[in-house]
Amino acid sequence: MPEIRVTPLGAGQDVGRSCILVSIAGKNVMLDCGMHMGFNDDRRFPDFSYITQNGRLTDFLDCVIISHFHLDHCGALPYFSEMVGYDGPIYMTHPTQAICPILLEDYRKIAVDKKGEANFFTSQMIKDCMKKVVAVHLHQTVQVDDELEIKAYYAGHVLGAAMFQIKVGSESVVYTGDYNMTPDRHLGAAWIDKCRPNLLITESTYATTIRDSKRCRERDFLKKVHETVERGGKVLIPVFALGRAQELCILLETFWERMNLKVPIYFSTGLTEKANHYYKLFITWTNQKIRKTFVQRNMFEFKHIKAFDRAFADNPGPMVVFATPGMLHAGQSLQIFRKWAGNEKNMVIMPGYCVQGTVGHKILSGQRKLEMEGRQVLEVKMQVEYMSFSAHADAKGIMQLVGQAEPESVLLVHGEAKKMGFLRQKIEQELRVSCYMPANGETVTLPTSPSIPVGISLGLLKREMAQGLLPEAKKPRLLHGTLIMKDSNFRLVSSEQALKELGLAEHQLRFTCRVHLQDTRKEQEMALRVYSHLKSTLKDHCVQHLPDGSVTVESILIQAAAHSEDPGAKVLLVSWTYQDEELGSFLTALLKKGLPQTP
Amino acid sequence: MDPECSRLLPAFCSVLVDPRQAVADDTCLEKLLDWFKTVTEAGSSLLLLQENPCLVDLLSHVLDLKPQDVSPRVLSFSLRLAGMFAAQEDCFEYLQQGQLLLGLFGEAGPLSWAVWSVPTVRSGWIQGLKSLAQHPGGLHFLGDSGAVDALFSLQGDSSLFVASAASQLLVHVLALSMQDKAEGSPSLKGSAWPACAQKIVAHVEASLCSTTALQITQALNVLTTTFGRCHSPWTEVLWGQLSPLVAHLLDSEPVPATHSLVDLLLSVARSPVFASADCTLWETIARMLSCLSPMQTGPLALGTLKLQHCPQALRSQAFGVLLQPLACILRATAQAPGPPGLLDETTQGCSMTVDTLLSSKSACVGLLCQTLAHLEELQPLPQHPLPWPQTLLVEAVVIILRLCDGSAAPSSSEGCRLCGTLAGCIRVQRAALGFLGTLTLGTSSWELVPQVFAILLETLKSPASSPTVLKKAFQAVLHWLLDSPTPPGCSDLGPHTPLFLRELFPVLQKHLCSPCWEVRDSALEFLTHLSMCWGGEANFREVLLASDVPKLAWQLLRDPESYVRASAVTAMGQLSSQGLQAASDSPGHPEVQQGLVGELLHILSVDSEGFPRRAVTRVFTEWLRNSHADVVQDTEWFVATVLQMVSRDLDWEVRAQGLELVQVFLAQTLGQPNPSCPYAVALPKVTPPSPLPEVLRTLCQMQIFDFAFRALFDCDRPVAQKACDLLLFLRNKSAPCSGLQEAGDSSDVASVEATLERWQVGEQGQPLGSLEPEVVLAALRSMDLEGLQSRLAESSDHVEKSPQSLLQDVLATVALLEENVADCY
Repeated sequence: MPEIRVTPLGAGQDVGRSCILVSIAGKNVMLDCGMHMGFNDDRRFPDFSYITQNGRLTDFLDCVIISHFHLDHCGALPYFSEMVGYDGPIYMTHPTQAICPILLEDYRKIAVDKKGEANFFTSQMIKDCMKKVVAVHLHQTVQVDDELEIKAYYAGHVLGAAMFQIKVGSESVVYTGDYNMTPDRHLGAAWIDKCRPNLLITESTYATTIRDSKRCRERDFLKKVHETVERGGKVLIPVFALGRAQELCILLETFWERMNLKVPIYFSTGLTEKANHYYKLFITWTNQKIRKTFVQRNMFEFKHIKAFDRAFADNPGPMVVFATPGMLHAGQSLQIFRKWAGNEKNMVIMPGYCVQGTVGHKILSGQRKLEMEGRQVLEVKMQVEYMSFSAHADAKGIMQLVGQAEPESVLLVHGEAKKMGFLRQKIEQELRVSCYMPANGETVTLPTSPSIPVGISLGLLKREMAQGLLPEAKKPRLLHGTLIMKDSNFRLVSSEQALKELGLAEHQLRFTCRVHLQDTRKEQEMALRVYSHLKSTLKDHCVQHLPDGSVTVESILIQAAAHSEDPGAKVLLVSWTYQDEELGSFLTALLKKGLPQTP
Repeated sequence: MDPECSRLLPAFCSVLVDPRQAVADDTCLEKLLDWFKTVTEAGSSLLLLQENPCLVDLLSHVLDLKPQDVSPRVLSFSLRLAGMFAAQEDCFEYLQQGQLLLGLFGEAGPLSWAVWSVPTVRSGWIQGLKSLAQHPGGLHFLGDSGAVDALFSLQGDSSLFVASAASQLLVHVLALSMQDKAEGSPSLKGSAWPACAQKIVAHVEASLCSTTALQITQALNVLTTTFGRCHSPWTEVLWGQLSPLVAHLLDSEPVPATHSLVDLLLSVARSPVFASADCTLWETIARMLSCLSPMQTGPLALGTLKLQHCPQALRSQAFGVLLQPLACILRATAQAPGPPGLLDETTQGCSMTVDTLLSSKSACVGLLCQTLAHLEELQPLPQHPLPWPQTLLVEAVVIILRLCDGSAAPSSSEGCRLCGTLAGCIRVQRAALGFLGTLTLGTSSWELVPQVFAILLETLKSPASSPTVLKKAFQAVLHWLLDSPTPPGCSDLGPHTPLFLRELFPVLQKHLCSPCWEVRDSALEFLTHLSMCWGGEANFREVLLASDVPKLAWQLLRDPESYVRASAVTAMGQLSSQGLQAASDSPGHPEVQQGLVGELLHILSVDSEGFPRRAVTRVFTEWLRNSHADVVQDTEWFVATVLQMVSRDLDWEVRAQGLELVQVFLAQTLGQPNPSCPYAVALPKVTPPSPLPEVLRTLCQMQIFDFAFRALFDCDRPVAQKACDLLLFLRNKSAPCSGLQEAGDSSDVASVEATLERWQVGEQGQPLGSLEPEVVLAALRSMDLEGLQSRLAESSDHVEKSPQSLLQDVLATVALLEENVADCY
């Protein structure tokens, strides 16, 4: 039974780490290979033992597809390819391929530095893993093998994020990854064509939310930064090196320019240069406005934002600093936070999600006395602000995408169970599409009815044409022929051609039917009456009375015989070939009604 | 338990059972369970419950909640927690008295609630029971509460995780119930086994006779785990009882659950209980090898060949299965009837293999990749079959590679078909190159070398070779160059190697200029490795220096891709160590005249990415260690210059590597630090150590102390740790130095100490200024370096992981806004 099977190993009713196994027409694909930032042991990676038990990974999986560079979507990749042992192809877009190793390296450094973890992937492993990557362009159909093909669509969300269509024959699945249906300051909105997949696997982070305009949040952000620096305070914005940082940089840069502000803005890690390099390199991935203004002014060349040196943190006076990592769990952002936390004039703005256990999480949950290393207690007097700039589609956007792609079914991942349940109901009711939301480890099986391509022989087509029936593009037509399977292909040919191609001898099959009639006349006379009756009834057919006394109508043979038991009755033997099945049946029915009385 | 935790627990428990307060983050609960596990393992759970009655209250409150108020997360947490407590018999009885366990795990508990449909709850229920099933009381509880029956049905759960956990628990229960009963009495019949064990075995038996593949798979999985984990005599009785049923599965057409069946047979065969030959087992394996499809038999054949003890006939059969696809390839592509192939044509299964190879592209590619990978795995094992048909295997791999690159021209129709199927197939190419690389091991026949070199060159030259294929090809070349056999009487690289190298280097040059960074990088890695092993070989040096390779490697120091720059730094460092960039030192190469040191220092100071800078510091450390000519000219200047750059670096690994450089320098000037391992071989000293006061003065002038103190208060732990070790070494070295016993000017010392204190709190703006050795030593002695060392040794997330922090987080999070909870990256 052909079917599509989907098993989330991660992102099934959670937002921890995305990793979804899809089996379509015998091909196995892994969608994303993310890491859970909330754990420091093996639990951070998806449990791959459920795939390894199917034999060698590289034989089992046909490919891995990474939707974008966020670690909850690609963080386990080096572990999977270099430590678990997957050696097959990995597909991602060009920007993701460029940026992914930077974030993986960043995370590795933090893990090894902060936690002192030894059993973690190394720099060399990240590099070796990246060498297995095949980069794809948007809308380019990539042939993974003879049967499996994939195609990327623009997803917004972050630079290089893509949705992927996975197709085998006529069956297809679309995986959205994370996406955003409204354009933001540097990226456009997600878009997909009406590809009508069998299944659309969509994220559902904001399954129940209709988000307010981003403009309001941006205004709020600028107001808070401005107020703080005006009163002489320092603003710390912990960010990850790429992604949101660029968006906020554009925002501040434009504001500073407009307001003619002189307060210094710093970006801490020396990564600005590289990040901006990538934004310039992949300018086609940004939104239209940036592309348009690129000719006059490169949006990513910041006049006001300078590289940060550790010594600057002690400088008096106001300043704004972007520092990594974004959750205040290590490195420079934490160091600066510790320095500035005690002053109520200062402010920290958290522009993204923080996992449990990090300082970011603690201060966001209102904790103001933090125990630091060495039993020190850090009192947080600075203002703490949270502003979500994460770029996910809200409920409206998700519905819009489903409407755009017109899938047969929808499967929700990357969200919370309760909210997914709400959205599922909405999709099923409003769009009349069946919707699933498996938990991690649960398999959803969707039966499919694959269309099997059949070639038609030229001879058969010509014969059809000879009958004067011209084909019409939009109208289905019934065509009779013999279906043969040769070299794994189906073809419809004439029976003669089938016999010839398959090297078979022809056998004729005749059907015979007995029709009993009450008649005392002799057999010859009886046959003559049948002939006359048929001749008058079937004007368009060739009816013949043969010298041996039998009657033929086309290939149908009719003979009259005496009844073995009833001398007052006669038997008509009607026999025909399978080609004349219709006429044979008709004649039998006709004769069963009896012959007309002789005048 | 920590009093602070005890204080927080009641609030935590009441948050959990308050339906108005959702616990957002289950990682927190998961980590708290880790903590409870350590607490219960370290002491009495009963005492813990008595001292913290809120925990028992939590369990009973969970049971009292209205169905709509039960949070799956909290319920799962409670089930697991209850199981942990009940693992100790006295605590189990305590909880039993209150009927809590029956409430939680019995048929009237969560099993019958609506939340049972949530996999987390089912999973928590199983995990709780697994913790609980540690003693006879627990075992009886499982039997009486109907849990075993529930486990039978959970084996077929819609969640992989739940189904697998249910199977594991059944095995655990079976093993536990047999623990005391059957020990030492192997003849104990199954009918005399404990009721619980009998029940499980009867279920397995019934499942094996089932007509549904899923049920058979479940039974086989339980058995596989049982024989894998339990090696007591009763397992032999169990196998004796069940083996006819297992063998009977092979009578079905098609054989059901083949994958699990293979796993089971191998698990039984590996069990030490069956070390004495069990004929029925070998017969079943032999039957299976002959009746399954080639794709299915591969793993069984490999597993059989990896067994320590196995009848020779079976080994031959299994090896035949593995060789079959390659034998078919050789036969299909043979130009003329030649010497005997890998296998006799009449060998069983041959036609099936040919059918698979010819049926479709994916079947052919799948079978070949699997076979090549299995043979690659088998080759280096000591138990690999003998005689090992090395020559024919090499031939087969070479022909596969030729089929892939389209250079083979088979005449048979099967050969032509294979040619069409495999042309341009990267997967097969990579698998074949991987296997070809390992085929050098144990190769004694040097006649094979030319044909291997030829195909490897062909692959490297082919413009159609993908970066991943090229990487594998480079690895295979390395194997064949470094490990290939030489004919008797040939002392150096062998007769084919110089010729090969002459052909190889133009190809290497081409790849160093490839537009793909992956290819440039793989080529540089190859160059580094080869020159590391063969830097001293005259033939190699000659060919390398006559080529443009060193020049191109130099140019790649400015590559736009940082990975490539880093590899170029390593390659140039290696070449320079071996004196291999000297030939380019001509007027045509102005860049060489600036010197490689200058170029590398430039990279260290300006490169915007960490990899090349890290590579430079590693090369410099190696150079210093091996007394590179450019370094020994003025070692102090060299070290001081490098440190000056490194100290400002944003990448902590560069700073840590800087400390490594200092360590090597100190070892050379002051003598080795005491090896931490008493068996470590002491390295020879490069120069006799200079008098200490003089050395310390030099160190001060070189600003090594400034660097080390700054590193000591680095925000990145490994840097601080390394600096601490280094300063401890210096302090200990200087302890016996009488000339410096007297502390320097006390105001200087106080000023240094004050600056260091400021550095410690993160204010590193102020420099230490010029230091005198006496002042440094006084400052060193006044510091609690040992205390700092032990603090730094502690993983820095210990605060985050601490139960107090976790409990506080849960308590603080409940007040959070909904929007925050929903957010993610």
